[in-house]
Amino acid sequence: MTAPLTGADAPAPHAPLASLLAASAALAAGAVALLLHPGVLALAVPTPAFLALTHTVTLAYVGLAFAGTLQQLPPVLLVTRLAVPWLGRAALAALALGTAGVVAGFALGYQPLALAGGGALVTAALWATLVQGLLTYAHASRADAAARALLAATGYLALTVTLGFLLAAAPHAPALAALIGYPVQLHLTIGLFGAFLLGIAGAGQRLLAMFVLAKGASPVRIRALTWLVHGAVLSEVLHAFAGLPTAGLASALLFAAGGLQLWEVAALLRVRLRRKLEPSVTRYLWAHAFLMPAAALALAGRQAPAGTALLLGFVVLSVSGMQVKIASFLSWQARYAGRAAAGGGRAPLLRDMLVPGLESVTTAALAAGAALATAAVALHAQPLAAAAAALLALGAWAQLLQTAHIVFGRHVAIAARGAASRPARTEVPARRRDGPLPEEP
Amino acid sequence: MTPNLQTLAPAADPDAVMQALGEVLDPELAIGVIDLGLVYDVRIAGGAVAVEMTLTTPGCPLHGSIAEAVQASLERVEGVASVDVNVVWDPPWTPDAMSERARRALGFG
Repeated sequence: MTAPLTGADAPAPHAPLASLLAASAALAAGAVALLLHPGVLALAVPTPAFLALTHTVTLAYVGLAFAGTLQQLPPVLLVTRLAVPWLGRAALAALALGTAGVVAGFALGYQPLALAGGGALVTAALWATLVQGLLTYAHASRADAAARALLAATGYLALTVTLGFLLAAAPHAPALAALIGYPVQLHLTIGLFGAFLLGIAGAGQRLLAMFVLAKGASPVRIRALTWLVHGAVLSEVLHAFAGLPTAGLASALLFAAGGLQLWEVAALLRVRLRRKLEPSVTRYLWAHAFLMPAAALALAGRQAPAGTALLLGFVVLSVSGMQVKIASFLSWQARYAGRAAAGGGRAPLLRDMLVPGLESVTTAALAAGAALATAAVALHAQPLAAAAAALLALGAWAQLLQTAHIVFGRHVAIAARGAASRPARTEVPARRRDGPLPEEP
Repeated sequence: MTPNLQTLAPAADPDAVMQALGEVLDPELAIGVIDLGLVYDVRIAGGAVAVEMTLTTPGCPLHGSIAEAVQASLERVEGVASVDVNVVWDPPWTPDAMSERARRALGFG
C-alpha cells in the first residue's frame, strides 16, 4: 500500500492556473501580431519579428503551459508531494517576466538589455523548475517511464533555453562565439524534440490513459522513445561540436521517435474504456496527424515547413488539448472541491465548466491554421499566410475564452444535477438497482 | 463490483451509509464511486464507519478531493460518529470493477 496523498498534500492550483491563463493570452496576442504581419510567416526567415513570434509560441505559450503543468503533474506521475513548492511559484513568475523580455527584445530589433535580462530570467526559471523536478523525483517511492520522460523533457527545456541564451549572447562575445559556434540546429532539436516531443509523450501517456480510462499500456514504447530522443540529441551534439557526420542519424532517430509516439497513442486508444472522447482529448489526438506530414517534409529537405507543421500542428494542438483538461481539473479543485465535499450534487462536473462549442472552434481553427501555415511557409505565399493567421487567431482566442471561463466563469452543475437527482444510484448489495446512468454527452 | 459490507451493532443505517457513498461522484466521469467500483470495503461498527477504497489511477489529481467527499458525505449520515477513509492501491482498480450501468454510461460494453 502506498500512503495516500491527502487534499492538503495536493499542490496549490493557483500558480499553475495563472500560468496556463498567461500562456493562452500569449498565444492569442501572438496570433493577432501574426494577423497584422502575415508576411513574417510567408518569408520564414529569422528576422526579429519572426523570432519574436517563434518565441511567443515556444516560450510564452508552450513553455509557460509546460512549466505550469509541472507544478501539478509530477505529484500525479510520481504519487508524491511536490518538492519545494515556493521554488516552482518563483520559477513561474520569473519565466513569465523573462519571456516577456525575450519576446520584446526580439520584437524591438534585438534589444540587448531585454534579451539579456529576459534570457537570464528564463534560464534561471527553467533550471529552478528542473531542480524542483529532480527533488520531487528523488523523494518518490515509484517512478515509471512516463515520469522519467517528463523529467528528461524538463532538463532539455532548461538546456535549450540556456543554449538559446548563449546563441543570443554570442554576437556580443567573440570568445563565446569561438567556443560554441552557432549550433542553431542543436537548439531546435533539443527544444522541439527533447523538450516538446518528449514532454508531450511523457505527460500525454499518463494523461491520455487517465482521460480515456486506458489500462494495460506498456512502458516499453515510452522508454524506447526517450532513448531515441537522447540518441538524437547526442548525435546533434557530436555533429555540432565534433564535426562528426551524425546529423542524418539524428534525423533517423527522431523519425523513429515520432513513429513510436503514434504507436503509443494508437495503443492507448485501442485499450480505452471511455468510448466517447471529449473535444479537448480529440484535439490532442488530431495533433498527431501533423507528425507524418512533418516527417515527409523533413525527408524532402523542407526544414522550415516541417518545423512549422511540428510546432504549430503537433506541439500547439497537443498542448492546447491537454491544457483545457488540466485547467479544468485545477479550477475544480480550487473552486468546487469543498462544495463537492459539502454535498456531492451541488458541485459542477468538469464538463460543466466548459463553454459548449468553443472546443470544436479551437480544434478546427488551430488545426486548419497550422495546415495553412505549413503551406504558406512551403510556398512562400502571403495570401495563405494571411488565412493561416486569421484561423490561428480564431483558435487562439477561442482557447483563451475557454480558459478564462474555466478559471473565472460561473459554472452550473447541469450534469451533476441530472446524475445525482436519480434516486438510489448506488449498488446497495442485492437491494436496489435502477435505471441507467446518463450517457456521456 | 459490490463493496464488501460488514456491520457490527451499527448505530447508522447501513442502507443510508451506502446511499451516502453512492452520492459521491467522480467529477471527471460523472459516475458515483460505488458504480465505478472504487469502494472495496465498508465496515460499520457502532457509530464508526471505515471505508477502504481506491481510485482509477494512482496519483489521480482528484485523489484528495474524492476521499474528502466520501468522508464528508458519510459524516452527514445520522448515527455516524466517526469516519475513516483509507485509499489503497492493492488490489489496483480494474475496469471489471465497474457496474454495468457505469460501463454503459462510458459507452463501453
